[in-house]
Amino acid sequence: MAFAWKAAGLTYNRYLAVAARVVRRSLKEEQRIGVERRGEMDLKFAKWQNGKQGDNKNLADANTSAMAEHAGQQTAQ
Amino acid sequence: MLSRAARPALRAGAAVTARPIVPNAANFATLREIEGRLKSIRNIEKITKTMKIVASTKLTRAQKAMTESRSYGEASNTVFEKAETKPLEGEGKKTLIVVASSDKGLCGGIHSGLSKYTRAMLHNKPDADIVVLGEKCKAQLGRSNGKNIVLSFANVGKDVPTFADAQAIADQICLLPTDYASIQIVYNKFLNAQSYEPTPVEAFSEEAIKNSPNFAAFEIDDEVLSNLREYALANSLFWALAEGHACEQSARRNAMDNASNNAADMINKFQILFNRTRQAVITGELVEIITGAAASEQ
Repeated sequence: MAFAWKAAGLTYNRYLAVAARVVRRSLKEEQRIGVERRGEMDLKFAKWQNGKQGDNKNLADANTSAMAEHAGQQTAQ
Repeated sequence: MLSRAARPALRAGAAVTARPIVPNAANFATLREIEGRLKSIRNIEKITKTMKIVASTKLTRAQKAMTESRSYGEASNTVFEKAETKPLEGEGKKTLIVVASSDKGLCGGIHSGLSKYTRAMLHNKPDADIVVLGEKCKAQLGRSNGKNIVLSFANVGKDVPTFADAQAIADQICLLPTDYASIQIVYNKFLNAQSYEPTPVEAFSEEAIKNSPNFAAFEIDDEVLSNLREYALANSLFWALAEGHACEQSARRNAMDNASNNAADMINKFQILFNRTRQAVITGELVEIITGAAASEQ
């Protein structure tokens, strides 16, 4: 597998998000302020089981931890 | 038993009909009552008017975001159109329905329209799973089809949806344990400022992409295919979210416009009622004074 980010457990979307963040941060100060709002994400999510809602969790944290787990699996293989 | 149970309801009904027809009863209590109601309706009108203005300004931004996001969705759809990708038809294949609603109400029937549409889809495919974006549809679908829901997202639609939102949601959907044959994203299609329509958009699974007749034309490696699928899902989600957001704002604007109009009508009616009552009170007082004066003269 040629992709280093894939080995690190990132999904393509996550990879894109990180790349986009890097581009935004390297912009000049004036442009950066307006543009950086586009990268904000403040969603919460909850898993459901048997018709019951689980705990509300922060999506960003959950995604990072899920990917960290995924990375562990990949190296184990 | 039944008549006794029905009686309070009857009485309540009678009270409601009796209330507006009291202008000839010349006492100060009703006058003050009418004044109080008039005041509260005026306040409501002010609130709905302000909300309408807020929604109008947000609508222009939302529409701009929608046209921009449309190009994302259309570009990724062109690939599948050219490849002639078809959703997989097969037994035992699970379907995932993503409902793109939002957190906020006070915008007419756009959330219940989505819920109804989703329920109709579930009627055909009772074992389909649901992912709900937004609190409103979560409450509605959670009551009727709670067993089908696997994920729900909150904090959707506070502002114009960003691509980062769509990406994070797509990631979480990809992490779901079940392998879905097809993902249907249900959103409100923006027809014009007045009307919208719940529409499904298809996000294809890897297998479906691989089986499409013109797939060979693109020369995509198998390894990259999952990337394409994830990215296409994020694109479609972004499109659905942005278009749904625009619909919501326009629906809210219309709802608030109607509410302000109704409030204005009510204010008119109550103003007339108030004036009549006031005149009746004055006339009654005059009659009392004159008769009193006439009586004391004699």
